[in-house]
Parts: sequence; structure tokens; C-alpha cells
Amino acid sequence: MRTGDFKETYGELVALTDSPPVWLWSAVLLLALILAPYILNSYALSFMIMILITVVGALGLNILTGYTGLISLGHVGFLVTGAYAYAIAVSKYGLPPVAGFVAAGVVPAVASLIVGTPSLRLKGLYLAITTLAFSFIINTLILEARWLTNGARGIAVQRPILFGVSFDSDAAFTYLCLGFALAALLATLNIRRSRVGRAFVAIRDNDTAARVMGINLHAYKLIAFATSAFVTGLAGALYGIYLSFVSVEGFPFLLSIEALAILIVGGLGSALGAVLGTVLIVLLPEVTRLLFNLFSAQMDAMFTTGAQELKSMLYGLVIILFLRFQPRGLVGAWHDIRRFWVHWPLRY
Amino acid sequence: MQYLIQLLISGLAIGAIYGLIAMAFAVIYKSTGLVNFAQGEMTMIVAYVAWTISTTISGNIFVVAFGAIVAAVLLGLVIERVVMRPMLGEPVFSTVMVTIGLAVILRSSINFIWDAYPHALDLGVGRDVVRVGSIGVRTGQIAVITTLLLLLVGIWAFFRYSKFGVAMRAVAADDRTALLMGISAPRVHGFAWAASSAIAGIAGVFFALSYDLSPVMFQLGLKAFPATILGGLDAVLGSGLGGLLIGITENLAGGYVGSGMKEVAGFLMIIVVLMIRPFGIFGERDIERV
Repeated sequence: MRTGDFKETYGELVALTDSPPVWLWSAVLLLALILAPYILNSYALSFMIMILITVVGALGLNILTGYTGLISLGHVGFLVTGAYAYAIAVSKYGLPPVAGFVAAGVVPAVASLIVGTPSLRLKGLYLAITTLAFSFIINTLILEARWLTNGARGIAVQRPILFGVSFDSDAAFTYLCLGFALAALLATLNIRRSRVGRAFVAIRDNDTAARVMGINLHAYKLIAFATSAFVTGLAGALYGIYLSFVSVEGFPFLLSIEALAILIVGGLGSALGAVLGTVLIVLLPEVTRLLFNLFSAQMDAMFTTGAQELKSMLYGLVIILFLRFQPRGLVGAWHDIRRFWVHWPLRY
Repeated sequence: MQYLIQLLISGLAIGAIYGLIAMAFAVIYKSTGLVNFAQGEMTMIVAYVAWTISTTISGNIFVVAFGAIVAAVLLGLVIERVVMRPMLGEPVFSTVMVTIGLAVILRSSINFIWDAYPHALDLGVGRDVVRVGSIGVRTGQIAVITTLLLLLVGIWAFFRYSKFGVAMRAVAADDRTALLMGISAPRVHGFAWAASSAIAGIAGVFFALSYDLSPVMFQLGLKAFPATILGGLDAVLGSGLGGLLIGITENLAGGYVGSGMKEVAGFLMIIVVLMIRPFGIFGERDIERV
């Protein structure tokens, strides 16, 4: 049993983790994820792809809402911008997929600078409402700019060929998504422990104090918006490729709520929380369906007719229950369990 | 010219509906300090209840109106007691997220309790056209504008003269001091939710009378957001007037620019208002500079 942690350098203080078992288990998990596409059937694989894509988007929102404390109800706007940027660059202008992914990150990031400007004056609820308004405006812009986006007809997207490797099969596409999810995870973890990340958290905790300590609020809030939109845009591009079709209907407003639900369920302001929340929220409808299936076949019929409604009802219920009984989310629960495990039989 | 007047009148009518919902937002914000994202959904549910009453019990307009208001008050009280009261004292972010969760639940419950098809709430009134010169106005449009104006006066008088209205303002201004003065904050909150639900329900029934019921009616709540921001989140009367302004703007934009513009005119207006006067035209200035 460890009796205490003694950190002697700044490097140790900001290290990702100081515990060898964490590295070991992370490596085991990574290996399992790499092997998974060979073992899983295509139905399970589709959930894995959904989880990996959603992780990227949730991590993107986590930078803005979790770290910097700026609530965005319009993140689906960045998602749809990223998807369209990729689709227009690759399907319409025939650019290579790499350029498409760059566009999928950069275009939302630039758009976020416009969306983020009101955040320099607004806080809390008002900012949430502004971002909500922007997501509706972006949808209308896309529908109106028919010469660029085909309006309501949408754009078909092919699975990409990157560096001579085709990602056409589901297994190969899983690896692409896994790569993006890992990159996004490492990026957010490293942002969190850098100077920029500490500035974000300082702004979240107390913006007046942050300003007094010399943090440029305007610059850092815009950086938060841009990074967040960049990552979310990439998720949007992946989702568009996965759907093989990009249209405004493919990105309903419910996705913004789903993203916030993920952060709340996982634990706000934690990359691990975003990952855990994603796994729970993506699998939740399926798990509930299986549970109800045990009871009666009639319930199963209800799921097939009202699947979408039931899914959104579950999201709503999960949001309310977590906020009421476990406001720190799954990460909070995990910390409690770990503390109990380490200190048992002592209370603390 | 006639086109313009016609646009203005239908703008005023839809604006009155936005105004009612915006007042509902403001009543809750004023007494509990949170934005109720489920307002549009509550509007929709009350309208559906009214439709059920009209098809199953009686199509008499007074029965339907009474039933709808009772249902709305009950809905507001139940939501406050079951969902919102346990969240008392939690951070604003959490409580607002709870209302978002509630919104999602209520929205999808429509498809389980009723169905996904549009329905007409036909009470035999509201769709006849009254001609003033060469301009046609529907009686439903006149009724909703009159209702808004009456409610504006009524609510002003309530907050100004009644004891409970003063108590509500006291809780809004400083709930801790209000508690020390012997005002029960939970009771005030419950009353606010009931009142807000009733006002929004009236708007929903009027909307269903002139247009149709459908599961996308909750978007009225989103459309009314600009109105309440424009008028000021804490200004009940301002929100009502803000609704009229938004309705007119939206209709003019739709009539002269294009239907896409009609959808976002309100949202564009919010952004402009928030950049210039974040507290709204009639809201209280709350300065905090960083």
C-alpha cells in the first residue's frame, strides 16, 4: 500500500500518470481494441465505430465545456460544418482525403472564431442560447448555399484511400476511427497539462481571478473555441464518411444534447469521463433493448416502432438521474470505488 | 401596401403567440433564475391535451379552455415538485441541463401518448375571416393579440399590487432575504411553474387553433427564445412585447427576403441584441466586466 505521493519536479506534477499499472492496462486495452475488428461481427463492429467517432466529438466538446466552462448547445453546427467541408473538398472538388480531413478541421475552427466572438461578452446561459442560434443559422446557410452544398439533397461520400491504404471495409474503417480517437485523446490530455490547458481551467474556475493572473481571456476563449471546433469537425467528417452521405437531416439537433449528456454522464472536465460517457450513452439504447427483450417480446416491438423516441427519452432520463444522484459522473463514481479499494478497511 | 399590412397583421398574431411563450420563460426566470428549455414542449403537451378534450369530452370552447388551463397548471406543478425541487440549490448549469433532459423526454412522449401525425384542433371558432376594408383578419388572430394584451395588463397588476406578486419579486431579487421575511421560496417556485405552464399552454392552444397540432410544435419554444432575450430574460412585460417585435420581423423577412430568412431572422436578431444589450431592451442591467 502506498502511503503518500511525493512529487519533486514540475515534470512529475503534470505527467499523464505516475502509475505503471495504468500504463500496463492502457496497453492491454489498446491491444484489445486493435484485435477487436478481427473478432467482432459486423453488428458489434458498427457500435465500436460509433463509439470511436463519438469519442472524438465528445472530446472536442469537452475542451470547450469541460475545460473552459463555456456551455455550447450548438456543437452539432461544427459537426455538420466539418462533414460538409470534407464532403465538398473530396466529393465535389476531388481533392485527396488528407486535404479533406484538414478542411474538416480548419473550416469549423474558422467558423468557431465567429461563433466564439459573442462569448467574449456573454457568459453562461446567454452564451448557450447564442450557440444554439448559431447552429440553426449554420443549417439554414447550408440549405441556402445550393451551388456549394447541393442544398437539401446532400452529398454522397466514399470511404477514403489514405497513403495508398483503402479504408473501404468496416474493419479498416474502424482502424481509421481508432487512430483519430487516440489522436484526439492524446491531444486533449496533453492540452490539459500544458500552459494553454491550465489557462482554460483557470477561466472555468474563476474568470476574474484568471484575468488578474494575466491570462488573456479573449485570446484563450477563442483558442478554446477553435480547438474544440477543430476536433469536433474531424468527428463530423468521420461520421459523414460512415453514413456515406452528408445532409442536414443526418445531423439533428439531438446530437448537441447527446454530446452534453455524454459529458454529464462521464463527468464534466475529464477526458476519461468523456470516453466512459460515450461508451455508456452509445450502448445505452442497445442495452435497454436487450434488458426489455428478456421480459417480453411485446416490449421489443415497441423498440422497433419508436426506437428514435425511446432513445431520446433515455438520454433525457439519464441526464436528469445523473445530475440528481451522481453529479460528478462516472469518473466520480470510479474515483469513489478506487478510494474505497485502496483504503479499505479504513474510511479514508 | 396591402401585402405589407397583411404581413404585419399575421406577424402580430404569430408574435403574440411567441410573446405568450416568452412571458412564460420570463416568469420562471424571474422567480427561479433559470431558463426553462422545456417550455416549448410544455406548450405542445397542453395543446395536445386540449385536442384530446375536444375530441373525447366536448368540443365546447369553454370546456376545452378550462380543461387545458387546469392540465397546464397540473403539469407545471408536477414538474416543479418532482423534477425541479430536488435540484434546489444546485448550480445553474445542472438545473438548466435538467430542463433540457426534461424537454427531450416530453418531446418524445408525444409519440407514445398520441401519435406522429398532424391534427386540427377544430372548435368551430378562430378560422372565420373578418374583413376590414380590403384586409382580412382571422378571429383567432384578433383573439390571441387581445389575450396577450389582457395578460400583459393582468400580470403587470399582479406583480405590482397583489401580495403574492410582491413576494415573487422579493424571491427573485434575493431569495435568502425573502426566506428570512417569511416567504416560502418553494411555494413561489411552484406557483411560478404553474403560471408559466398555463401561459405557455394558452399560447399552445391558440397556435393549434389557427395552425395545426404536430409533434414539431415544440419548436415554438425555440422561436420564442429570441423574444424573451430581446425583451430581457427577467422582464415579463418586455418579453411579451419582444414577441410581437420578433413576429413582425420574422414575417417581414419571410415576405420580402425568403423563407430561409424567416427561419433564422429571430436568431440573427438575438445575436445582434446580445452583442449590443445583453440584458435585453427592458431587462435589468447587470454589469460585470472582466
